[in-house]
Formats: sequence, structure tokens, C-alpha cells
Amino acid sequence: MSNQFKKDLVDLVPRLRRFALSLAGNQADADDLVQSACVKALKNEAQFRPGTRMDSWMYRIIQTLWIDDRRRAKTRGTMVDAEDAGLSDGGRAARLPEDRMMLDQAKTAMSGLEENQRTVLSLVAIEGLSYKETADVLDLPIGTVMSRLSRARAALLPQLGMMKGPMQ
Amino acid sequence: MTFQTVMDPDRLAAFVDGELSPEEAAEVVMHLADHPGDQAYVDDLMAANAALSQAFDAPLHEPAPEHIRETIMGPVEVNKVVPFRRRPVAMAGAGLALAATVALAAVILPQMQEGSSDNVLALGPVAQNTALDRVLGILPSGTPKTLESGKEIMIMATLPVEGGFCREVEVIDDAADRLDFGIACHNTDGWTVEVTLSEPLSSADTEDGFVTASSAEMQSLQPFLNRLGAGTPLDAEAEADAIAQGWSR
Repeated sequence: MSNQFKKDLVDLVPRLRRFALSLAGNQADADDLVQSACVKALKNEAQFRPGTRMDSWMYRIIQTLWIDDRRRAKTRGTMVDAEDAGLSDGGRAARLPEDRMMLDQAKTAMSGLEENQRTVLSLVAIEGLSYKETADVLDLPIGTVMSRLSRARAALLPQLGMMKGPMQ
Repeated sequence: MTFQTVMDPDRLAAFVDGELSPEEAAEVVMHLADHPGDQAYVDDLMAANAALSQAFDAPLHEPAPEHIRETIMGPVEVNKVVPFRRRPVAMAGAGLALAATVALAAVILPQMQEGSSDNVLALGPVAQNTALDRVLGILPSGTPKTLESGKEIMIMATLPVEGGFCREVEVIDDAADRLDFGIACHNTDGWTVEVTLSEPLSSADTEDGFVTASSAEMQSLQPFLNRLGAGTPLDAEAEADAIAQGWSR
């Protein structure tokens, strides 16, 4: 097992937890997801091609595990922890009440999106991946990424108190 | 309110997401100048991106949870416990604000500089985006971190000082049998290591896995901290606040 591989993986953990949190809606499930993904990554280290992006590879593993988990627990619905849905950082990131309200709304709105839309929106808007990179992670055509993104935003903006956006 | 944008909304979204070439982006910018409705839609998309990014960014300000780290790196072996130094009690009680902050280098004791040329804890400004800069910027006190060089680093405490914050940091270099201790303070230009001291790791007395805090070198830092007007070390919550606010006061 390459020590450098492990170190690179540890360095990625904060971003992996952010991505998983945006999918799972609460930090406990997100951390379970990240831990499972790390186990899978270590087991399949040989499949990782050095020189390619480890973050994209890990996003894909997390997304796959999350979808598998959602399929198994189809009736459970997304668990959104009240604390996490409010302010998991204790309000430090948002000092003004209106900021906090916006962050609350953003988390709630994300949890209400369809899973495939949430994943695309998270990779593009939160993780900062390009459409092409997102398409590669999810093994989708770029056009599908764009259409899911468009639908996600059409659903999200009104919940953030913004205009409903353009008619489709 | 539902409305019709003049420009294709997917193109406006691509503009917001940075998907357009510079030439294409320039065209959109010119278009937006004459179409306030489209501009409002772009503003909303940008605000939504910012809100989403901020809503989920808490993990970026936290160290990797121990159970995840252990999953990756394996459990920490007992014989590899880093003998980080325990803070001296006297320093923890330093709270009397004295004169305004002085040029800190002026009070560095000669013996503190001896052997302190380590490239991790070098005196002077800390270059941005280096490992030390990141550790000082976001690592909570009491959390050991292994640097790429194999050295172990840990923030011992965060001290409020007049006009800002200082952080006590310690670096363990097992290979070189060396322990470096330093104090770095934050100003408008970032972090500066103001004082360092070093000693052979093998000569350090350990107690419960820590280096004892009664050494003369440590105590000699007290006047230095008094000059800064250093207060009681921040508790975990206050320190997390300071980290989240980028060390602004």
C-alpha cells in the first residue's frame, strides 16, 4: 500500500466530507459515507491511475456508494439532522441572521432535490468541477449534466427566496 | 415570479459556472449590461452558488475525524506518540496587557535563536500556502499533523494579543532528534514567526507523553508574551470562531 496514496487521501478528507454532507444532509451519515469510500479506495488502489485526479475518483466512489445506500433505504428518505440543517458550524460561517437564514434554506433546498440533481449541483456549485469533469465523474453526457443542473436550479432558486427563473 | 430570459438560460448558467471562453464570457457581459432581467438571473445564480458553497463548508475548517484518519493510515502506534510539550501553567495565566505591541524580534533571546534554522519554523514572515501557513490558519490546538517531510507539528495554544492573535506551535523532528517551539502572530500580511527555540528531542523530559513545561526556556517566554498583552489561551469554541473569521478581530 503506497504511503503517498494514503497521505493524499487524508488530505482530501475535508473536501470529501463536504461533498458527502451535501449529498447526505447530515454529518454523521456523511462521515459514514466517507469512511466507506476510503475503505473501498484502499481496497481498489490498483485501479487508481497515478497522474489522474484523485478527487474526481473519490467523488465517484462516494456518489456510487450513496446511490447504493439510497436504493437500499428507499423508504427512509433523506435524513437531515436538525443541527446540521441549521448550522453545523455553530453559526460561525454566517454572522448575520439573514446569512444564517440563507444557509438554512440552502441546506433544506438541497435535501429536497432529486438525488441525481443534487449530485450534479454539488459537484458543480460546491466542489467547483467543470461540466466535463462532472460528466466524467458521473459517467454521463455533458448535455445530461446541464439539463440536471438546470432543473436543480429551477427547483432551488425559489426556495432561496429568489426569482423562479426563466420559463423552460 | 417566473420570467423569460432573453439569452438562453443555460448559457447564462454556463457563464456563472465559468464554462465559457473569455470571448464568450465577454459577449455575455456586454449582453447583461443591456438586459437587467438577465443580469438579475445571473445574480441569483451566483448568490445560490455562494450560499451552497458556504452552507456545506464546515468540514473544510475541521481536521479529518480520527476514525476516518485511522481507516486510511491505520491506528497510531503507541511507540510513535509524539512527545509534544504541555503548555506551562504560568503562560496560561498570562493576562496582563502591558505596553503596545513592540517589534517582537527585538526581544528574542539569543539562546532562542540557536539551532532554530529549521525550514518549518524559520523566523520571519510565513510564505502563503505553505504547510506552516495552512497549519497556522486552520489547525485547531491539540491536533497533531504529519507534514510531508515526516515531521510532526501541533498548535499548542492560541493566544489573544493586542490587535490580533498569536499561536504557539511545536515541531517534532524524530529523524533529527529535534524539537522546535515557536510563536507565530497574525497581522494584515499573514503569519510571522516571531520567536523560536530548539532543543534535542532526546534531552526533553517526558511525562504522560508530553514534554514537561518547567524548562527555563519556556519560562523565559513569559516576558515576551506579557509585552504582547497576551491573554488567556482561547478555548476550543473561541479558537474555532477565530479560525472561521480568518483571524480578524
